[in-house]
Amino acid sequence: MKMKDSKKGLSTTVVIGAIVLVIIIVLAAWYLMAPKPKVKALIMGTTDSVETNIDPAEAYDFFGWEIIQATGCGLVQIKEGTPYGAGAKDVMPSLATKWSVSNDGLTWTFDLREGVKFSDGTEFNATHVKYSIDRGMSLAVPEGAFVGIGFSDIIDSVEVASKYQVKFHLKIPFGPFLSLMASPVAYIVNPKYAPFDKTVGYVEGDARASCPNDLGPYILTNWTRVAGKDYEMRFKANPNYWDKGLPKSEELIIKFYADATALALAIDAGDIDVAFRQLKASDIENFKTKTNVKVWEGTGAFIQYMIFQQKIKPFDDPVVRRAVAAALNRTAICRTVFLGQAANLYSMIPNGMMGHTDAYKKLGDANYSFTRSALGALGYSETNKLEIDLWYETSGHYPQSADQAAVIKSSLEASGVIKVNLHGLDWPAYRVKRGEESMPAYIYGWYPDYVDPDNYVYPFLHSSGSSWLHNNYANSQMDKLIEDARATADAATRESLYAQIQDLMVEDAPIVPLFQSSAWAVTKPDVTGVYLDISQVWRLWLLEKR
Amino acid sequence: MPMKRSMIARLLPGIASLARGGSAGKIVLIGSAIVFSIVLMTVLSPWISPYDPSAINVGPVISPPSKRFPLGTNHLGQDMLSRVFSGGGVMLQVAVLSAFFCLIVGVPVGLLASYSGGIADKAVSLVMDSFYAFPGLVLAIAIAAMLGRGTVNMALSIAVVYVPSYYRVVRSQVLTIRELPYTEAARAIGARERTILLRYVLPNLVGSIVVVATVNFADAILTAAGLTFVGLGVEKSIPDWGWDLTDGRGLLPSGAWWVITFPGVMIVLLALGFTLIGEGLSELLNPRLEQ
Amino acid sequence: MSLRSYVVTRLLLTIPMILLLLSIVFIVVRVLPGDPVLLHFEKHAKPEDVERLRQNLGLDKPLHVQYARYLVGIIGGDFGKSMQDFSPVAQQIFSAFPATLELAICAIVVAVVTGVLLGVRASRFYGSLQDHSIRAFGVVMYAIPVFFLGMVFQMVFGIGLHWFPTGGRIYPTLEPRGLLLNMSRPESGFLSTLLRSLPVGLVAAGIIYWLLRRRHVAFRARGLAICLSGFTICWLIFAALLWHYSGVGVFRLKTGLFTIDSILEGSPVKLVEALRYLFLPSLTLGLVLCGIFIRLTRSNMLETLRLDFVSAARARGLKENSVIYGYALRNAFLPVLTMMGLQFAALLGGAILTETTFSWPGLGRYLVDRINFRDYTGIQGAVVLFGLMVALVSLVVDVLYAYLDPRIRL
Repeated sequence: MKMKDSKKGLSTTVVIGAIVLVIIIVLAAWYLMAPKPKVKALIMGTTDSVETNIDPAEAYDFFGWEIIQATGCGLVQIKEGTPYGAGAKDVMPSLATKWSVSNDGLTWTFDLREGVKFSDGTEFNATHVKYSIDRGMSLAVPEGAFVGIGFSDIIDSVEVASKYQVKFHLKIPFGPFLSLMASPVAYIVNPKYAPFDKTVGYVEGDARASCPNDLGPYILTNWTRVAGKDYEMRFKANPNYWDKGLPKSEELIIKFYADATALALAIDAGDIDVAFRQLKASDIENFKTKTNVKVWEGTGAFIQYMIFQQKIKPFDDPVVRRAVAAALNRTAICRTVFLGQAANLYSMIPNGMMGHTDAYKKLGDANYSFTRSALGALGYSETNKLEIDLWYETSGHYPQSADQAAVIKSSLEASGVIKVNLHGLDWPAYRVKRGEESMPAYIYGWYPDYVDPDNYVYPFLHSSGSSWLHNNYANSQMDKLIEDARATADAATRESLYAQIQDLMVEDAPIVPLFQSSAWAVTKPDVTGVYLDISQVWRLWLLEKR
Repeated sequence: MPMKRSMIARLLPGIASLARGGSAGKIVLIGSAIVFSIVLMTVLSPWISPYDPSAINVGPVISPPSKRFPLGTNHLGQDMLSRVFSGGGVMLQVAVLSAFFCLIVGVPVGLLASYSGGIADKAVSLVMDSFYAFPGLVLAIAIAAMLGRGTVNMALSIAVVYVPSYYRVVRSQVLTIRELPYTEAARAIGARERTILLRYVLPNLVGSIVVVATVNFADAILTAAGLTFVGLGVEKSIPDWGWDLTDGRGLLPSGAWWVITFPGVMIVLLALGFTLIGEGLSELLNPRLEQ
Repeated sequence: MSLRSYVVTRLLLTIPMILLLLSIVFIVVRVLPGDPVLLHFEKHAKPEDVERLRQNLGLDKPLHVQYARYLVGIIGGDFGKSMQDFSPVAQQIFSAFPATLELAICAIVVAVVTGVLLGVRASRFYGSLQDHSIRAFGVVMYAIPVFFLGMVFQMVFGIGLHWFPTGGRIYPTLEPRGLLLNMSRPESGFLSTLLRSLPVGLVAAGIIYWLLRRRHVAFRARGLAICLSGFTICWLIFAALLWHYSGVGVFRLKTGLFTIDSILEGSPVKLVEALRYLFLPSLTLGLVLCGIFIRLTRSNMLETLRLDFVSAARARGLKENSVIYGYALRNAFLPVLTMMGLQFAALLGGAILTETTFSWPGLGRYLVDRINFRDYTGIQGAVVLFGLMVALVSLVVDVLYAYLDPRIRL
């Protein structure tokens, strides 16, 4: 039991209070009075994270590719600010200086750059190209980049013609081959850090062992994961990079934020210099009014579309499909859900890309008279409405799916002859249901594998597409058109073919494109080097702050 | 019969104090008033809402409170006032359903298991204890994820979490009553076990069960909100306060405070109402030493 | 029953509980709609590839084999490989765990301190306006959904006033900032290390002082000498250790509890930063739970304050504060202790929502993320760890209570 304090000596409370006070004053002085240290590195914040790893043979996510492009190098690259991509003038030399294709389109020859060194001093030559491509194709890991893009369906073999020349022998003539070689799947790996029979994953505490890429503008110096989630990545400039003068920033730090709110607050507070992916539409609108940040808008290549399950009545009837497509109101979606930060899309090929035509405009937006007459002919009316079960995902895999679904429901029901029931499922369950082919109508999205109209057409409108979309669409005429379009490299021929493909698409209406999102980045006012073009390449090496 | 009188005898001072304006009674009254007005508001919502709560774009998107929209609009242009009026329906249904499930499962199981004693009692107690000791939300999330969206599914997952509480309460009452003299006396005169259960034990449970049920209501509402926050609520076309909170979260950095505030306050009021009823009732039925 | 047999019985009872928990998780996770294998294949899913991954993840074996492997693995401490990113689950959950632990500890501290202080106050002024408003506060706080309170705090303190960050946790590689920025580098000198070790010395001195007071040593020359020597010794030893082991700007994640780590590292700056990130989440969670402690403390204090020894102490002329805090509270505290244990399960549940609201990288957020991917092993690992924590805490609390109150063991 405590006795009352004797008169001699200080009372307990006073002494403890004094100590605590001293500590607080010291800490406060320490903390408050000094300015924040000027960090040399450029700091970028993102809500993305590496989904699997940064191995070109396996990585198949946007962010993984972003890092591969920063730490690795390919034979060719897409020019920044390119207006549409995949044209001859948009592809620039990278590790290859010259290239040509044989007349039958089956052999591509690349002349390689000489005098480029790996980080360990070895000189880059054609054997490394063969190693990288062969490795990618042989690994064939589940949903690896090579599997997903269908590399092995296109390339037959890689031949080392001479020390600095490599030849690709293709199985089929493939017009977009250059775009494919510019995509991160074809990037060169360092054989020392990329075993031929295994993919390279995250290694705790060892950034070099986690990164099989080399020759790129940056070197990964630090990669931290906490509780299975990416925490931070650090990079420093690669002295051996072939393009002297790049990267623009000596050091780069990427910080990972858990959600859009945290990211928005971070860029607002000035904790980071660049915020890229994914900010909410309302945050971006808010930032446009602020002076402490700069908002960059660019072309997006992400599209969303609605799919009809042709196995389920009445969606086996193209008249019904077209009628529903006509009742959609894309403008409402873009304006309400995305506050104008997305664009109406009337074709599977995005706006701004070669071959795009506003095909679905023929059916119109909120074209209720068309819908009513078309459905009326089949017996649907105000008293006998067409009932649609519309499914969407709820895990945030696509931006604001639930809101899109709500807007779609309201615009379809405004026609007066349609009733929509909404069903949301989280992503894993949604995937399973897709395979079960039990959803009459569902919403999906797409990021390009490589920047070419073929990548927006082949996976969806070719009959092989239904192997993964599961919508059971097959039209042999469409198949022939698509195969012809991808076989040739001649732009004019391809354009006319794609126009035909899109017209046929509107007649069959198996899929209805909804919108194309814009790309956004928010940075501090003194940051330059932001290029948001159709190639979707986020060029970390061009970012610079004054 | 002695047990009936004993329960009423216990309630009498409470009711008397209600009449006198005793604090316990006051609390119950306040709580009931809150709950009643919210229920009334929800029931009347189709008539008092100025707009259809699910209709999108009735007003400009994310606009602050104004004359036309006293509580503002959310990111889909829906009127927040209408959504506040009708958003309580889901929570109330979930609360009532979960209490119902708990009652039809927890009470019979508790009665039978604890009354028969022996291995059945120990085994069921073990199972119930493992459920009880476990973080409720995790269990609710797991089961809700399993069953999918919808009011009934949410109620089921909440019920699974709360059945152990009912079980415990029933069990402790049963164990006490089983040893009481009049129960033994009843057995001595040859009354059947079932009669004893139904006419002696059960009526005495009512008081405690009512208290547990009201606490269950309050917790069910909070858990339902939590489940919705994690994405496992009802289908989004149904207006629900929980969804408003979840959606409004992303609007905070741009300064749109009104989307989460009003639905949030309503949830607090509803949970508070039930809690007050529960507190008041428990004081009435088990008066504390300080009285 | 002796204490030992009670402990043994409790331990034995815990084991079937854990087994039951493990089994329930195993079943529930596999009943969830959704297939983790399929989620790895967005488009071209060749059947051979799918089958290969399924074998890789062990999902092709019949259920009872999977179950047996799972149990054997857990007993051996192997939580398996995550089905989402193929890293060892043990590594992930044990790096997420300290974050949740830190949050839980701080929240309980907030809840208990606020609850007890307010409860004592309410009991002292029984029947007054203060009493009623404190009770109302407790009840209202409990009725607030924890994530709503969190969002309100984020709005007001984070976005509105910019006093606190609205989410996340301090970065391990935080750059130091402060007056002595340059002196924080090991090259720059022993002086900075000495300064940074000062708080440790002060804390040691404080502890020694308190111990002396407890043993009724009057604070005169001898007491002062003991304190000063304790201070100097601890200060210098810690400075030497710090000097030996220091590296600038990089946490050696010793405990994973950043507040403790920053003290160990001698960096008050990082301590302040860590506390800044920790403040709002723990305040949210703590306030929501304090209502229970208010009610408990108040009713126990009311009982205790009427007992004879309290009146006796007052009659002897002790100050009111000493009476309340010295005598009465001590006796009323035991139930609070057990309530802390009982609330632990609720705390963990609330922690999940708090972690999601504040993007706190803990076990709760890990669990929610993994559920979204149907990562069976990850979910199982996280849930089992949750269960073990709860079981451990309740075991400790029960044993402690049995030790302190022999009536329970009968």
